[in-house]
Formats: sequence, structure tokens, C-alpha cells
Amino acid sequence: MVKISRSVPTQASPGRRFGISRRAFLKLAGLAVAVAALGRLIKRPALGTIVPADNYPEGEGVITEAYPATSCLNCGTRCATRVRVVNGRAVKITGNPLSQVTEGANCARAQVGLQVLYDPARITTPLRRTNPARGRDTDPGWTPISWDEALAEVSGRLQDLRDDGEPHRLAIFTGLNTVSDEDILRRFARAYGTPNLITADGLDDEAGQAGQWCADGHYSRSAYDLARTNYILCFGAGILESYEPLARSLRMWGKIRRERPNRARVVVVDPRYSVTALRADAWLPVNPGTDAALALAIAHVIISENLYDAAFVSRHTRGFDDYKDLVLGGYAPEQVAPVTGIPAATIGEVAREFAGTRPAIAWRGRGATGWPGGTYTAYAIYCLNALVGSIDVPGGVIYQEEPPYRPLPGLAPDAAASAGLAMPPLDGRGSAAFPAARVVTNHAAEAMLAENPYPVAMAIGVNANFNLTAPGAPRWDEALARLPYYVHISPTVNEMAGFADIILPATTFLETWAYDHSPPGSGFAEVRIKQPVVAPFYNSRNIADMVFDVATRLGGSVADAFGNIGGSAEGLARYRTAGLMPWEELLAAGVWVGPEYQYYKYHRIFDTPSGQFEFLSGNLAAALQKIGEPTGGDACLPHYQPPDFLGEAGAYPLLLTSYQPLLSVNGDSRDYPWAEEMFLVEHGQGWTNFAEINSATAQELGIKDGDEVRVESPFGSLKTRARVFEGVRPGVVAMARGLGANPNEITGVAYDKISGQAARGGTRVRVYRA
Amino acid sequence: MVIDLDKCTGCQSCSVACKAENNVPYGSPEEHTRRLTPFWQKVIAVSSGEYPSVSIDLIPMPCMHCDDAPCVTVCPARATYKREDGIVMQDFRRCIGCKYCIVACPYGARSFNYKEQEEMPYHRPDLPPERADRGPWPFPRRVHGVVEKCTFCFHRIDAAIEEGKKVGEEVVPACAEACPAHAIAFGDLDDPDGNVAQLLSSRQATRLREEMGTSPKVYYLLR
Repeated sequence: MVKISRSVPTQASPGRRFGISRRAFLKLAGLAVAVAALGRLIKRPALGTIVPADNYPEGEGVITEAYPATSCLNCGTRCATRVRVVNGRAVKITGNPLSQVTEGANCARAQVGLQVLYDPARITTPLRRTNPARGRDTDPGWTPISWDEALAEVSGRLQDLRDDGEPHRLAIFTGLNTVSDEDILRRFARAYGTPNLITADGLDDEAGQAGQWCADGHYSRSAYDLARTNYILCFGAGILESYEPLARSLRMWGKIRRERPNRARVVVVDPRYSVTALRADAWLPVNPGTDAALALAIAHVIISENLYDAAFVSRHTRGFDDYKDLVLGGYAPEQVAPVTGIPAATIGEVAREFAGTRPAIAWRGRGATGWPGGTYTAYAIYCLNALVGSIDVPGGVIYQEEPPYRPLPGLAPDAAASAGLAMPPLDGRGSAAFPAARVVTNHAAEAMLAENPYPVAMAIGVNANFNLTAPGAPRWDEALARLPYYVHISPTVNEMAGFADIILPATTFLETWAYDHSPPGSGFAEVRIKQPVVAPFYNSRNIADMVFDVATRLGGSVADAFGNIGGSAEGLARYRTAGLMPWEELLAAGVWVGPEYQYYKYHRIFDTPSGQFEFLSGNLAAALQKIGEPTGGDACLPHYQPPDFLGEAGAYPLLLTSYQPLLSVNGDSRDYPWAEEMFLVEHGQGWTNFAEINSATAQELGIKDGDEVRVESPFGSLKTRARVFEGVRPGVVAMARGLGANPNEITGVAYDKISGQAARGGTRVRVYRA
Repeated sequence: MVIDLDKCTGCQSCSVACKAENNVPYGSPEEHTRRLTPFWQKVIAVSSGEYPSVSIDLIPMPCMHCDDAPCVTVCPARATYKREDGIVMQDFRRCIGCKYCIVACPYGARSFNYKEQEEMPYHRPDLPPERADRGPWPFPRRVHGVVEKCTFCFHRIDAAIEEGKKVGEEVVPACAEACPAHAIAFGDLDDPDGNVAQLLSSRQATRLREEMGTSPKVYYLLR
């Protein structure tokens, strides 16, 4: 037997990270104390050191070697992977060439999966809180309990709530999970009777989705036919950094640049010189929050110079005349140039290029849409695609096919559940405040604090960490501190876990059973399987297995909803993928690829009142009518709303913007040294983030590169180092999310009204030497 | 090796893949500040210009495997040598840790191993170079106090030749394999019909610091 030393990595030394480190957090949360007292609750092994004894063969060298197929979950792309497992240890992750979505490619995030699996901060056993006081700096006083004890307590609480006729007072918070865990949690919420399944989507790109819904009824991100496009006009999307499916974009970038005779042209609109911008052919450093005005000015040029696709517009669209009047009336390039900071001549050039280089794509991203009014911005950008006829054509916008999973049997909520489901959801989705929202993640914190519409009695968090990832993050600390009972489920401890009454250790994606697929991108459908490449570590359990267990304990109609669908995570994956291909073959291949994509489906793709692409949105009109708001004027047209800024311009003269670099692994890279040491490729820097300031702004403020600075907004302040950077607009402070000081802590709380998207843009700050 | 900077997306998959494949230890913030983090392959950023006409180029930097390698010339212990196929290698057992080669290398391609054996969080006996599971790795294990560098994943190449596989098509170094944009091509530069020669004839290519007379074997295709 080979003994592996479990030495503490040198990185554990204090000061390793600029912001709060996970290890420092552990100490704060009292876990380190618990470890000393209770004998290694939280093991801290280094990469590659944890192997259950019976899996580890005797001898030296390679004794057993396997390449099981599974898939990643370090971002929502969920790429197909193969993992090299030597002597029972996962040692390398590569792409799965059978995947057609990514054509076998992976990005760097996938390879970091090894450090997710062997993360020193993993939780080893279910834990119960002993200290009733809660707070970020409070020691929870963890004590280990058995799975049976933990699940009995959780089920007991759930049962009590249902017996009291108040199942709606349960909230379920979810972060990034597998599609199968998402499905099972949605089913649980319905069967149990709570409308409060709060996903993290409201922190991501809901406004971008609502923008497309206004035009064609698809409340989703757009899929783009990248391989065949000739021109990409990108508004604030991190195509090469964060826009999912990421590995597909990376693969297609190589393809459209140099793997075919005509090289596609890419123009990036972004206040920051992102990796996408630096790899593009042109960068337009737009004024933050003015992307809609720019898009409409481009439309103005295209329409006034008669460059639009008249055939498509007349055959398949409605409301063009209203749109035309609006655009020609108020968005001449000369009018828009001072607003956007982009010269009128440049706007004209880009518009003519865009209309003249077909098929062309107008691509909207979070940088453009993550503002109050983001839905209109997304709508304005999306309409450019229709103007040049790039709807459901090769090289244009395409419509993602859903994988043909075997449907789950119908579900009959009992009387208690039906009553619970009829209650208004906590986050105000669909209400007058957020008329077209599907989820308003960040608003749940306010609702919990205000106990409006009702107090939350219990919450379950599944791989969520809103205390870190939501703008106005400190509010979540308050909301969770007041929550009577909180159950946290994830493989590692994080900020949110520190408020839990019970922590249930989940497996990582490399030890789990699931089925999965990517967000829209490829057009055709593709299913991936997740299977354990190593046996689950410690005493961790699969999330779906926990849900099945709890449902069985609850009994009645909840248990009935979970009968005959496989009975376990593995069984569920088998059930849902039955009919795709034989199970053994699916496990060996790792992916199932659907039939080739069909274009030109104009008879059925438009889910709008008119059944056509709408420049004047009927969907939006219906939503506004429902809440009694006027639908006239430009309310149902894509238009520009000058951004609302949080903070007074005199006291806070700069504008904060945050972005997600590629190696921000699911918003939090703190425990993954590979991601940490290469975190900011543009700066050649790792282990921290910066306050990036233009040299002109820095000079005015008397700040030099590398100075310790304080970035202060009306909502808080943080300390970091300044980076004098030519790639950011003067007057803007850019910060990376995922490592170091957390910009979410000083970002104000604002929403896009229509979609409920949490706006990350618009917070004013001042920067001074610390 | 030919790296296409028009296809490269700056994603750093190559750098992470190299670390995983070759068991290169990760660094720490302190090592980062002192520029001591070991990398056999790293994407560097070269910026120029002022706002708004700024330009940053991201350049993946493996060892250039120079024909006239300064590191080979200066090594007093003959620990650095060139194989017959042109790969510049480092013999850990001969290396005396004098770091002349680090100073001599115009590309910063070499790293010194400051890590003690017992503080190795990266200790993974199943991987090269610790154990020769893929071809003949000539050194028993990674050792403290010597210089390390990119080997073009010679263990893969040697194993491929032994198994009769085609180098450059079926088998490539870990960085080339991991590149999602297919920006890194690997093959025999002397083969006029080979993939790399064809790429080089198709576009304008450059090598880094050619004026130093090192004849590097890594070419970059420009945008």
C-alpha cells in the first residue's frame, strides 16, 4: 500500500488571497475549531490524495487505467469530457470527441474539475449547527450527525410545515446544478407545494432572454449558427470568456477565423477591452448602459439606406412601420453619437458592414443587458438580426431543439400542495413589479427581510451561494441570519453554508449520476451523461438521491410523485434517457447527438400573438395590460432608456462594472489553484483581481498602477489594488468577479423591471488610495 | 509547432493541460509576486498603445526548442541537451541548479523547482515524470533544486512512434490536444508535405526574437 502524505499546501498561508479566502472563512465559521475537537471533519487533502483504500491497488506504476465518459459542471455549458483514471484516481480531464456541440473541445474550466473533486474544503459528513446565533463571523459550532439523523430532521421540519398548511413558506435556492437535479428539484417543489423555487437565473441573463421573448416568444438565450456566420456584432457578450456554451464558442472561433476560405469579421461593443474584444477585428468602447441607443442607431442607418432584408421583413414580421418610425425619428447616428461615445461615422460604417456581410449575427450579452431597462436593450439588439434576415437561416440566429427525454409521469399535487402553489411567489415574478419575470432571484432577499408577502419558515439551498454572487450580497447575510431554519446542500463550505442549521455534503459532478445538456447554442439537441469516475468521497451523497430519500420519508402524494421514475439518481438518468440509445452504449459514449438542425421553420418558430416576428411586441403588450400599464407609445417597441445610476454623481464620479473572466469557475475560483494562478490572462496576473482604471482617470485621481485603493459606493467599500489599464473607458472602474475583492458587495440593488434581472451595471463609485 | 494567433482565444486551456499532463506544481501568491511560479507553458500578454487604440496580444509560450539553443550552450553540466529529433531536454540528475540556462533563455521558458519533496502537494506517482507510464522518461522523479522545462510532451511522441501512430495527427502534445480553437499544430517541420509545413506556407509566420539567432522551432501565424 502506498501511503500518500497529506501535507498542507504552501498556499494555505495567510494572505494567500486578497479577499476572504475559503480557509479564512472556515476559521471564521469555527470549522477549524471543530476539526481540532472532533478529528478532521473537514479534510484538507491536496490534489490527488484521497482514495478509498479498497479502490487503490497494490504495487507501483499504472496498474489500472480507464477513461470513463462523463461531463463537466464548472459552468452551465456542461461539456462532455473523458477522465483519465489511474489506479483509482482521476488524473486528467480531456474533451469527448463524440460531442458535436463542442466538437470534442473543452475549455480550461473543465480541466480544473480535478481540483474541484479534490478540493480541500469539501465537507465530509452531515453537520448540525449548535450555536443558535448566526452571522458571517459567528462560529456555528458544527457537530457531525448521521445521514439518517440529518434527513429525519429535515423531513420532520418539512412535514410539520405541510401539516400546518403552509408548504409555500418553504423556499428552495439553487445555484448551478445538473439538468437532472434541476428537474428533480422542480418536481419536488411542485409535489410539496411551494411556488418558491428560486434559481440563480435572475442573477444571470434574464433580460437577454426576455428581449428575445418580446420579438419571437422564446424566453431563452439565443443559439447562433456560428460555423456558418460571416459577421458577428457583439454587444457586451464575453464570447471567449463567459458566454455559454463557452467551449462551443471557443471551438467555432478557430473555425470561422481560419478553417474555411472566408474569414468571419467580429466587432465588439464593450466599455472594457475584454479578451473577446482584443481578439476581435474592432473594438467600440461604448458608454456603459447605452448599447440600446447604439443598436437603434445602427438600425437607423440600415433602414434609411435601404440595406435591410425587405423580403424577410415583409413576409415574416409585424410592426415594422412602428419600429421604422421610432428608429428614424429619434436615433440618427449624429443624435446617438454623444450618448454612446461612438462617432457617427463609425456607427454608419459598422451598420453598412453588418448589413452587407451576410449572414450576420447581432449578439447580446450581460454587459449590455444587465441594466435597468435591459429587456429593451436586448430587444433592440435582437431586432437587428431580423433586419438583415438572420432568423433561422444558416449562419444566423437558430432555435435550440430540446432533447427528447422520456417525459416524467404527470403529477397530481394534493390539496395542501395545490393551496401552497396558489400562493404568490416570494420573489414577485409576474406581479406588477416584474410583469414578465420567470424568477427574480435577488428580490427574494428583500421579500424575506420584509416578510412580504409572508415570512419564510424554512429554506433549502442547493449549490447556491447568493451571499457571494448576488449584487447587494450583504443583504443575503441579513436575510439568512433571520431565517428560522436553513438546510445547505453542496460539496464544499461557502458563505451561504455558514448560515445553515444542517449541512448535507453533496458529491461533485465527477462522482455523480445525472443527465445533462448545454444552454442554447448548437441548434440540434445533445444529451450528456454523468457517471461517477471515482467512488464518492467521504460521506457525500448525490443530490437526487437525497431528494428521493426525503420524498419517501414525507410519504403521501409527495412520495407518489417520486415512485416509478427510477428511485435513485442513477435510475432517474436511466429512466429519462430511455429511448435515446441503450444504457450501456450511452455510458460508453457519454453523449447522444440528435438529428441535424433544420432551418427556415417560419411556420412554427414564432410564438407571438401574430405568429410572426414582432418589432412591436404583442407578448409584452399582454404582460403590461395584465398589470394595467399603458401599452402605447414606445412601451412595446425596442427603445433606449437612459440608465438609472445608483449614487450621486458629485460624490461618486466613477461607474463600477464587473465582468467574469474565463477562469472564474462558476463564480468562485477560490479553491482551485490552477484557476487562481492564471486568473487574469490580460494582465498576466493571478491570485487576485484589480480595480482597473484608465490612465487618464488614474492621473486625475493621483493613483498609480499597483496602489492599494479603496473602491467605495453608497452601499459599501472594498480594498483592492489599482491596475492602470488602457483597455477600459475613462470614468469606468472594472473589476473581475470570482476571486479577490468581491464587487457584488458594493454593487447596489436594481432590477430590469420586465424580466426581474438583477442589474449589475449602474452603481457609481469613488476610488481613493487606501 | 505552429501556433495560429488568429485562432487562439486566450483561454489558457493549453497552460492548464500542461500542468495536469506533466505534473507541474501550482504556485502561490508569494511565488507569483516573485515570478517563481513554475510553468512549462504559459500564455503571456503583450500590450501596447493608448486608449482607445490599445492592443493586447495573448501569446502561448511553450519552450521554443531552438536549433541553436543558448541553454544548451551555457549548461556547465551538460544537463540540457538536444535530442536527435530536435527536442531540447533537461536531465534532472545531471542538473546542478546553477540557473545559467534560465538567464540565457531569451523566452523565459524555464522554471526552477523550489519545492521540497516533502512539501509537494502535487505528488502524484501515477503521472509522468514521476513514473514512466508513457514512454521512457529518463529521470526517476521530479526533484528539488533543478531546472525544468517543456519537453513537447516527448513521452507521448516516443510512445506514439513505438506504437506506429502518426505524430502530429493521432498524437500531439497535451497543449495542442487541449486547444479548443485548434490553434496549435504539431508535426515534423522537415516534412514538406506535413501539416505544419503546409500551414507555414499558407500564411505569414514569425518566430519570436529571431534576431537572437536561436532558430526557434515554434512558429506563430499572424492575424
